[in-house]
Amino acid sequence: MKQGSGARILVVDDEPAIVRAVRANLGSRGFRVDVAVSAREALERLDAHPDLILLDLGLPDSDGIDLIQALRARGRAPIIVLSAREAERDKVKALDLGADDYLTKPFGVEELLARIRVALRRTLDPGANTPVFRTRGLVVDIEHRRVTLEGEELHLTRTEYELLCALARNADRVVTDAMLLREVWGPAYGDEDHYLHVYVARLRKKLERGPRRPRYIVTEPGVGYRLVTEEPVLR
Amino acid sequence: MLDHMQRIASTRGYVAALAAVAVVTAVIGAIEASTEIANVPMLYLIAILGAATLAGRGPAILASIASFLSFNWFFLEPIHTLTIGDRNEWFALALFIFTALITGQLAADQRTRAGETAARAREAMLMFDVARMLGDPDLDSALRAVTARLRGALAATAVVVELDGEGLSRRIVAGDAAALSGAAVGSLAAWITSVQPEARASARWIRVMDPRGVGTHQRDERVHAVPLSSEGRRVGALAMHGERRPSAADDRILRAVAAQVASAIERARLRQRATDAEILRRADTLKSALLSAVSHDLRTPLATIVASAGSLRQTEVRWTDAERETFLADIEHEARRLSRIVGNLLDLSRVESGTLRPARGWYDLEALIDDVVGRLRPLTQGHRLEVRVPDDLPPVPLDYVEIDQVLSNLIENAAGHTPPGSAIVVAARVEGDEAVVEVADDGPGIGIDAMDRLFKPFLRGAGREGARGSGLGLAVARGLVEAHGGRIAVRNRPEGGALFAFTLPLDREATPAAATPR
Repeated sequence: MKQGSGARILVVDDEPAIVRAVRANLGSRGFRVDVAVSAREALERLDAHPDLILLDLGLPDSDGIDLIQALRARGRAPIIVLSAREAERDKVKALDLGADDYLTKPFGVEELLARIRVALRRTLDPGANTPVFRTRGLVVDIEHRRVTLEGEELHLTRTEYELLCALARNADRVVTDAMLLREVWGPAYGDEDHYLHVYVARLRKKLERGPRRPRYIVTEPGVGYRLVTEEPVLR
Repeated sequence: MLDHMQRIASTRGYVAALAAVAVVTAVIGAIEASTEIANVPMLYLIAILGAATLAGRGPAILASIASFLSFNWFFLEPIHTLTIGDRNEWFALALFIFTALITGQLAADQRTRAGETAARAREAMLMFDVARMLGDPDLDSALRAVTARLRGALAATAVVVELDGEGLSRRIVAGDAAALSGAAVGSLAAWITSVQPEARASARWIRVMDPRGVGTHQRDERVHAVPLSSEGRRVGALAMHGERRPSAADDRILRAVAAQVASAIERARLRQRATDAEILRRADTLKSALLSAVSHDLRTPLATIVASAGSLRQTEVRWTDAERETFLADIEHEARRLSRIVGNLLDLSRVESGTLRPARGWYDLEALIDDVVGRLRPLTQGHRLEVRVPDDLPPVPLDYVEIDQVLSNLIENAAGHTPPGSAIVVAARVEGDEAVVEVADDGPGIGIDAMDRLFKPFLRGAGREGARGSGLGLAVARGLVEAHGGRIAVRNRPEGGALFAFTLPLDREATPAAATPR
């Protein structure tokens, strides 16, 4: 079970029970865990150069959003935001400001570990330059602009293809609506935002063929989309 | 009303009076020349009566004096002098001037009274209109109507009502708004305060500087303002702006209207307070219902969690691995159920507070249904779940998070109220200008008595203690659907089971049903 390979994780949360559970789980998997219970402490702990930050948005001494900006100004360590369900706007804001991913409380340990794995993998291999993306029978050949599903070539429109590439470049990470719009239509997107979800739905229909699995694109309600390389765990 | 016009009218009256006397003099001259008739000079009384009735007191006196002099000059010996030879003539003349003056006065009084009566009638009509307009429960539209009516009655360039304080702060202008712009006079109420500190501050006549030509054009336009006070406190000001000096009648009208407006404002304030109290009362009722429902609904999963955790911790019994796994699964399962209840509680509080503003985007309904069905698979494992969506379903404008919640609640409700092995069918289609989403089951259906209260929070049908989930889910679903401008309903299917259906307008501009507290 040694997955952590000594990566250092800074947990910023003021809820002792959560901190205890997270610390026990991460520690037993070989991560080194630092804890901060306030925004001020979090900034102090940065000196230990964490490889990843788990950040609760509801800290007593700071608007979590401000803290993200402060943390981003001091380093590139990936940030995973922990937040309550009803705070979609905060999540989106956090992600657009540079957080890498989010988890909604309450979350399971499996989900937490999966998110940490993805975020750490990206720091080791930023992936943006990967010429070919492969997962579970889906191959996106970015160099040759070709997409195949189970060996069969898929015919995608330019927009669908661009959407798929944007999601594949960020595989397993959530991509917000705003990020997708920027990546696919450029900074000057106009009316397209009305239709973003419809384009994604069309792309999904071509990839997923009905409600049966495998499932590649997962909707993150109110936030964006995620291209998953592992079948999501349902419970 | 209207000094200026009166001035013109009275000048004309004096001229007309003199003209009438001249005409009568000519007529008497003609008659005297041909025949001898006694008391012909009494014809002058016609001119005097005419002047009194049509032009008033002053012209009547002028006509009397002019008649007296003309008669003396033209017809009494010695002619063309103002001296009188005959003593009898003296007496007749004195009688004449006396009669003329009295007749003129009586006629003029009559005329004044008629004029006053007409003015009072106009004022009464105005006050009646104002009272009727102020009956409008919408204060803004009432004040708009009143200022417009007042502007017409006073022949003013503009009429303004300015209210301050207690959430009623506003400024309503009829007529030339620029003439009364804030830059020109500042806040009327503040201005009254500065001119005269007492609440009964009288109207003031001020010169208005044209804000556009600083110091260069000093327009001779004027603002006449009276304070609005209610219960001794000043609540605003009523002002007219015109090119002429307001008469006493204008001031009287302005003050009378100000009194009515002030009491209308007071009524609006009281209404506002009553509404606030009603909202508080409803929130309170909701809170009590919430507390009782929540304590019941939360206790069930909590009991399971506490019992399972306690079982795992006790040391007297050695559990098998399978037993331990069951306890742990129960804890996780019930904790997630608690999480869903809390989610619905938060949504319900947003629905009830009327702050729901769906963030709508165009979405593919099929993808949404697939997502929800996929996510709820652990809940529906014991059921046969089927999705029926046509291929050509158009995109639908919706708030993904909210409609996800609606559909989740309906599926969870169906799964909770039907025995394992039952079928649940989720279907979507377009009907007219709406998308219709249905969740049908083949369970026991719903009793007639429960049907109309199903969507009200915490009013679960009697004898449904075994039912899972709280009365929250359907109430939240209704609130969210209505905020989208759609409808939600339930009916029993002829072949058995319940069918919940909700609609979503396909036109994004469709106005959502007003989100009022229930």
